[in-house]
Amino acid sequence: MVAVWKGAALAAALVLGGWGSATAMELRIGLAAEPSSADPHYHNLTPNNAVARHVFEALVDMDEVQTMKPGLAESWKTLDDTTWEFSLRKDVKFHDGSPFTADDVLFSFNRVPNVPKSPSPKTAYVRGKVIEKIDDHTIRIRTARPDALMLNSLAQIEIMSAKAAASASTEDLNAGRGTVGTGPYQFVEFVPGDRLVVKRNDAYWRGREPWEKVTFRFIKSDPTRVAALLSGDVDVIETVPTADAQRLAKEPKVALASALSNRVIYLHMDRLRETSPFVKSKDGSAIKNPFHNLKVRQALTRAINRPAIVERIMEGEAVPASQLLPDVYAGTSKNLKPVAYDLEAARKLLAEAGYPNGFRLTIHGPNGRYTNDTKIIEAVAQMFTRLGVETTVETLPPAVFFSRASSGGPDKTPEFSMILAGWSAGTGEPGDSMRSLLMSFDPQAGTGSANRGRYSNPQFDQLIQKGFATVDAAKRAEIFASAAEVVMNDVGLIPIHYQKNTWAAKKGLKVTPRTDEYTFAMSVRP
Amino acid sequence: MSAEAGMPGAEMAGAGGLGRFARRFAEDRVALFGLVLLLVIAGLALIAPFIAPQNPYDLARVDIMDSRQPPGARAGDGFTMWLGSDGVGRDLVSGILYGLRISLAVGLVSGLIAAAIGMTLGLVAAYAGGRTETLIMRLVDLQLSLPSVLVALILVALLGKGIDKIILALVIVQWAYYARTVRGSALVERRKEYVEAARSLGLSHARTVFRHILPNCLAPVIVIATVQTAHAISLEATLSFLGVGLPQTEPSLGVLIANGFQYMLSGKYWISFFPGIALLVTIVAINLVGDRLRDVLNPRLER
Repeated sequence: MVAVWKGAALAAALVLGGWGSATAMELRIGLAAEPSSADPHYHNLTPNNAVARHVFEALVDMDEVQTMKPGLAESWKTLDDTTWEFSLRKDVKFHDGSPFTADDVLFSFNRVPNVPKSPSPKTAYVRGKVIEKIDDHTIRIRTARPDALMLNSLAQIEIMSAKAAASASTEDLNAGRGTVGTGPYQFVEFVPGDRLVVKRNDAYWRGREPWEKVTFRFIKSDPTRVAALLSGDVDVIETVPTADAQRLAKEPKVALASALSNRVIYLHMDRLRETSPFVKSKDGSAIKNPFHNLKVRQALTRAINRPAIVERIMEGEAVPASQLLPDVYAGTSKNLKPVAYDLEAARKLLAEAGYPNGFRLTIHGPNGRYTNDTKIIEAVAQMFTRLGVETTVETLPPAVFFSRASSGGPDKTPEFSMILAGWSAGTGEPGDSMRSLLMSFDPQAGTGSANRGRYSNPQFDQLIQKGFATVDAAKRAEIFASAAEVVMNDVGLIPIHYQKNTWAAKKGLKVTPRTDEYTFAMSVRP
Repeated sequence: MSAEAGMPGAEMAGAGGLGRFARRFAEDRVALFGLVLLLVIAGLALIAPFIAPQNPYDLARVDIMDSRQPPGARAGDGFTMWLGSDGVGRDLVSGILYGLRISLAVGLVSGLIAAAIGMTLGLVAAYAGGRTETLIMRLVDLQLSLPSVLVALILVALLGKGIDKIILALVIVQWAYYARTVRGSALVERRKEYVEAARSLGLSHARTVFRHILPNCLAPVIVIATVQTAHAISLEATLSFLGVGLPQTEPSLGVLIANGFQYMLSGKYWISFFPGIALLVTIVAINLVGDRLRDVLNPRLER
């Protein structure tokens, strides 16, 4: 009899224990995209950065709406326009127990530009910065010109341990050798194609996290990720597919959290060539590039029914866009509103521009890089066709698309006439977006790096340069806002919508949504 | 085995032979049903522009305001979408009818071209022998040893999108089946007396091969052709499903199925389901016909 009771108790303990370890202590997160490495400086990619911030920290931290706040640097001041002084926290220890000092910062800054085989290094964030150790907990950074985005750049540089990672290669870090940071979680293992596991850092300077262990599982397929949440295989998923958001909202076992994203979806037009390869007249003959005509650009942006795309394609998981970043961010213009849909006015503009019969156009875009990208292009093609611009759609696998869109044409010029793409403002302000997407293309100066339309406007370029040299935040915001008005009134590109980032968690967990698309265990609370 | 039984191609040539062939085919009710089904599908596909309520390729007619409507909903243009609409507002009845056109056309055209190339190479290999044969047949072995989806995927990724490129890719993955089959039959035929007779009458090699050997090798080719057509259709659907096939704005059945895949869990089953059923029925019908053809044309099963 006693034995029977013991057996029952053991069984109950096993059941409860199994249940307890999965709910109270361990957090399992389903990620839509897989990091390419556990080395934080290897590849500047959203999933890499998101996972890295569990183990590593930067001098400056960004909160869920990308506002700067102190990280490993507890305070900072500018000594003059080009010199910044940072005081480092004194109470911080790495996961191996060694203290955090200025040497680790110097080590990390030197490592960033020197990671071998990096597909997309973070070099731009340290370029032009001369760093100097004053004492163990004070550093100074000098720049040649005023650098308004100093803090935004520092927020991108994860600090590694000079002692533990001294000779660690990317392969070592993937295997956990030297993957030592100051963050709230310690690295356990990275299994490419399957999972990345971290465990709690009990000595974390901000205080202990509620989760003992966090497992990130990589589930690329949208329906599979949703199914994993519903079946209880994971507790939280990121990038809830728009097709499922409404249904999940009604699901009693699940809670949704969403935030406006810093990602804009837009159309770039060929402004480089006099005749554009994918623009033809209705009879198939070559015509002069119509995108050089402002009225044509205005007609196209007016022909797009943004609310319809948001409602019918994105199922409400987006917001019509007026510029490159939602106007809740500093540096954006409140005067700009999403261009209203007006087909009659658009037709009139097109006729006035000298194209009463329209023309033929092929829009190119990636299939599967952005939420519903192919469908958005199809919807835009429908709307342009109604305007009289007979539009065909060609979508390509993202890697192929981006390389051809950037340099597939003659002499490494952009290949296409009109493309759909997206841009996420990682710095949390519009200056970097405008510099990358719309400033004149100049690889030496590092401007227009993603300007695949080759738009060029000297007045706009000047404003952006002035903005970057203005350290006063309020003044800078004003300059950037006026730059945004200049470029949007000139229809430098056609913004469509801002994405929303949506997370789904099982009932009982609270997820704080973030604008930067990063999925953090630190954002999940029981 | 008598010479006549070994030459079903010659047997079919006569009117009496054809009637006998048709009677034998019709003995199997299921196969007859498959044939009728196939004819109906082909007929519907042929007259699609006249019966479809919408031209699903005309972007001025497709409206995103009609997207994701359930079966039986009314479109903005006034017609009823009996099978609902897909994620960009395309009527599924129209989409399936037009999609069948593309799927069948791609299957047939690629099959015909592959058959022409494969048969020629197979005959040349069998007739010429020696190094030519070795070269051609090793090429066939190489081709058959690679999974066809993989080869097609790589080819389409290299060539780019478009109906012509899909057909080219399908020809490249299919010709080897025809070549191998034809060579097998031709090797047997080559040693027969009528070939020797033709040669001693002074007929050219080309005439001997194409006018005398080829007609006697046709029976197995017809069987292979039906199977391969079904295979080509499903391969095209697979490629389109994987996103490397036909353009989004001119969807084949595979593209339609792929479009609806993301909605499967959210209860909008019809976007993938109905095109999937259309694809399934088409392929089953072709296979039923193909199976029966194999039975009827196989001399070993002759009663």
